Amino acid sequence: MSNDLLWVEKYRPKKIEDIVGNEEAKAALIEWLKNKRRSKKAVLLYGPPGVGKTALVNAASKGFGFSIIEMNASDSRSEKAINEVAKPATSYVALDNFSSANKGKGNLLFLDEVDGIAGNEDRGGVGAIIKIVEEARVPVIMAANDPDIDKLRPLKKVCLLIRFHQIRIPLIIALLQKICLLEHVKAEFEALERIAQNSKGDVRSAINDLQSLAEENHALILQDTMALTSRNKDISMDDTLRGFFSTKSVTEASSLLSRSNVDYDEFIMSVGDNLPRRYSDPEELAAAYDFVSQADVFRGRIGTENWHLLKYFFNALSRASAVAPESYKPFELISPPIRIITLFWTKGKRTMLDGICGKIGAQCHVSHSIAKHDFVPFIKIILQNTKSSSLIPWFKFTPEEVDFLLKMNRY
Amino acid sequence: MVIVLNPKEFKLPRVEKEKFVLLIRLGLDYNRELGLFSIKNYNNIEKLIDTVSGILNTEVVFSQTCIRCGKDFPCTDCKYNELCTTKDLPFSCVCPKCLTDRKQFEEYLEKF
Amino acid sequence: MAVNEEALMWVEKYRPKNLNEVVDLHDIVESLKAFMKNPKTMPHLMFAGIPGTGKTTLALCIAHELFGPTWKNFTLELNASDERGIDTVRERVKDFSRYSRSGFGNVPFALIILDECDQMTGPAQTALRRIMETSSRTSRFILICNQSSKIIEPIQSRCAIFRFSKLDKQAMKEQLQCIAKKEKVNLLPEAAERIVDYSEGDLRHAINALQTAAAYGGVVDEKTVSVVVGEASPMQVQKMIRKALFGDFIEARKTMYEIMGSYGFSGSEIIRQVQREIFKMSDLTPEQKADLSNVIGEYDYRLTQGANSDIQLSALLAQFAKFGKAIGETY
Repeated sequence: MSNDLLWVEKYRPKKIEDIVGNEEAKAALIEWLKNKRRSKKAVLLYGPPGVGKTALVNAASKGFGFSIIEMNASDSRSEKAINEVAKPATSYVALDNFSSANKGKGNLLFLDEVDGIAGNEDRGGVGAIIKIVEEARVPVIMAANDPDIDKLRPLKKVCLLIRFHQIRIPLIIALLQKICLLEHVKAEFEALERIAQNSKGDVRSAINDLQSLAEENHALILQDTMALTSRNKDISMDDTLRGFFSTKSVTEASSLLSRSNVDYDEFIMSVGDNLPRRYSDPEELAAAYDFVSQADVFRGRIGTENWHLLKYFFNALSRASAVAPESYKPFELISPPIRIITLFWTKGKRTMLDGICGKIGAQCHVSHSIAKHDFVPFIKIILQNTKSSSLIPWFKFTPEEVDFLLKMNRY
Repeated sequence: MVIVLNPKEFKLPRVEKEKFVLLIRLGLDYNRELGLFSIKNYNNIEKLIDTVSGILNTEVVFSQTCIRCGKDFPCTDCKYNELCTTKDLPFSCVCPKCLTDRKQFEEYLEKF
Repeated sequence: MAVNEEALMWVEKYRPKNLNEVVDLHDIVESLKAFMKNPKTMPHLMFAGIPGTGKTTLALCIAHELFGPTWKNFTLELNASDERGIDTVRERVKDFSRYSRSGFGNVPFALIILDECDQMTGPAQTALRRIMETSSRTSRFILICNQSSKIIEPIQSRCAIFRFSKLDKQAMKEQLQCIAKKEKVNLLPEAAERIVDYSEGDLRHAINALQTAAAYGGVVDEKTVSVVVGEASPMQVQKMIRKALFGDFIEARKTMYEIMGSYGFSGSEIIRQVQREIFKMSDLTPEQKADLSNVIGEYDYRLTQGANSDIQLSALLAQFAKFGKAIGETY
C-alpha cells in the first residue's frame, strides 16, 4: 500500500464544499473568518474524530488566503510555532488583513488536540490555553476530540464553540461511491453500506477501510467486509504498536500502518518511547532510531498540507520496525507517550530571559548563549539558596527577573 | 403524534419572554416580519429540540434535505434510521432514492 | 591571587587583571609580553581553545596592560553570536574607530575583542577580514574562538595564533582551593576532585559550580557537588552524554527529558551544548571527537527539518551508544 498514495490523502478535501457533512459548523466557521470585528478571537471546533475538523481548518484557511501556524501542544513542534507567535509585532503583517481581498497575507494559529492539555493540570490546564489565546497576535482556531465538553467549558470566555457531529451513514456511502467511481473500483452497495456502518461516523477510517479492502482487486463484495472489526481508538493504538514491533517485514509493517486508525504524531512518539525496549543491541537501536528520525523529518516536511509525502513517512517508520525481526521478544508497552510541554515559553518569558542573559553577559564578559547555558542554571540555584544574594544588585536584576529565575522550574 | 418541522422555517405558538430568550440562547433565530423561527446554531441541538418539543407538547423531529435532489424527506424513510446518531436532527443528508439510484449518481458526478 | 572586590560572581571576582597575575599559561604570557614591549609591531591575535581556559581573561589583561585603568574606553568587546549579522559588527567597529582614533599614549591603536568568531559563517568571515584590513591603522583585533579550523585561512594568516589547552586537573584543584579559602568555604578534596572531573578542563564551569555548591551553606562535600551536578544543566548534558556512551540509553534519555523540561531549552540549543561538551571531553581522541561531531551535525540538521526534537535527540543518543560500544570504552 505504500506504492501509491493513500486515498485519505488523495481525496483529502481541498475546498470547503468538498467536506462532507456538518454544514452548519462549516457555515459558522466561515462567518467567523469573514467577520473582521469578531467578538471572540478564538474558535473551538469539537466533536468526534474523523469528521472533518482539521480538513475544514485547512480548506477554509486556504480559501481565505491564510497561512496556518500549527501548534500541537503535546509535541515539540510547538516550539517553532511559539517562536512564530512570539515574533515582535513589526515582523507581522497587520492583524486586520482579514478580508479575502488580502490573499496570502494573514496568519492563523491552529491549536490541535486542545483537550489533551485542558484535562491535565500538570500541563497548565485550561489556564495555559486561555493564556495562549490572549497572547497570540492572530486569530486562533482550536480543535478537540473529547466529548467531555465540561472540561472545556472555561474556554467559552475566550472562544466561540462550534460543534461537529458524526457523519451520517448515507453521506459516507455517497462519498465512498464517489471514490469507487474515481478509482475504478466495482463495489457492491451492501459492502459500502457495511463499511459506512462500521465507521461510526468517522470518514477517515471509512476511506481507509475501503482502500485496504478494495485496492488490490479493484472490486469489493459484501463478503470482503466481514473482516472489519469495530473501531475503538485506545485499543487501536496499543494493537498497532504491538503489531508494529513484532512485524516480520517492512511490507507488513507498512500495510499495518496504513490500515490503522492511529494519530500519526502520537504513534511516532510512542514508537520513540518503546524502541529501546524492542532493541537492546546498541547497533540495532541506533539503526532503528535513525529510521524513526528520518520519518520525523518527513513528518516535519508534511506539516499540515504536504500529505503526498505521507508514504515516505510510513516507509521510514516501517523500516524502523524491521531492523532485526529475529530479535523480537514480547515486552510491555509504554503508552501513552511521554510528552514535553513547552507552553511555558511564551514571548514575554523569552524576552525576559534574553534581558537576564544580557545583564549577565555584560558583567561576566560572555555572550547571551554562554550566559544562558553556563551561568543561568547556576545563578538560579544560588538565588534559591541565598534569598537576598548580593548578586541581585550587582547584576541589576529587577524583582520580576529574580522571580522569573526562581520559578524557572520543571514542567 | 409526531410533528415534522422544517429547520429553515417553522412556527411556534406564542411563549412567555423567558422561554423565548431560552430558545434564542439555545440557537434559534427569529424573523419578526414573517413570524418564523429557523435554526442558527447547532451546538445545543438536542436541548433545543427538547425545548421545542415541550412547547408543542408533542414529539418533534426535523426534516432532512437531500444534497443531491434537494427535496425534503423525513428520517423515517431512511434505512439506517435506527443506527443513526444524529437521527431526526436537522442536518443535510442523502435521500434513499438518490443513494441507490445509479443513474442519478452518475449525473451528479458530472457536475464535478 | 587577583581579587576584584566589587564583583560578586566568583568567576569575575577572581579573574586576573594583569598578565602577572595569570598562573599556568606561562609560555603564552611570555610571548604576549614580548609583543607588547613594542605595541606598534603588535599583530592581530587569535586565541583558540576549549571554553574556560583563559582566552577572554588574557584578552582583557592585554587591554588593561596597554591602556591602564581607563582601558574600557579603548576596548570594544563583541560577541559574534550576539550580533545580528556581519553588518552590525561592521557598524559597531566603525563607530568605535571614530571615537578612539588616536589610541592612547604610545599605543597607536584601539583594541577590538571579537568572541565566538567560529560561529560566523564563511561569507561573514570574509567580510570580517575586510573590516580587519580597513581598520588596521586604528585597531587591533583579538579574535577568540573554540575551533581555529572553523576560521577561514585569510584571517588565520593575518593573526598570531595562540592555542589554549585545558588546564590540568591539579592546577584547577589548586585554583578552587585558593578561591574557597578566600571565601571562607570549606571545600573537601574529594569534592574538588568531583567538580574538576565534571568540568572537563573548563575553569569557568568549575568556579561557577563551586560558588553554587557553596550557596547551600555548610561544607562543600561530594554530596553537595552531586546535587549541583544534578541540578545544573551544563553538567547534566555531560551526564547525559556519558550515560549514552556507556550504553545506558534509557537513563540518558531520561536525563534528556529532565533538561528539556527544566529550562525550556530547544532541541537545537541542547545539541549545540552537546557539541561543546564533546569537544571538552578528555577521554576521547581528536578523531573520535571529529566522528561524533559529524553525527551531531547530521542530527542538528534533521532537527531543523523535523517535527519532534526529542525524537532527533533520542536518535543522536542512540548513535552515541553505538559509538561507545564500538570503541569499547568504559566510562
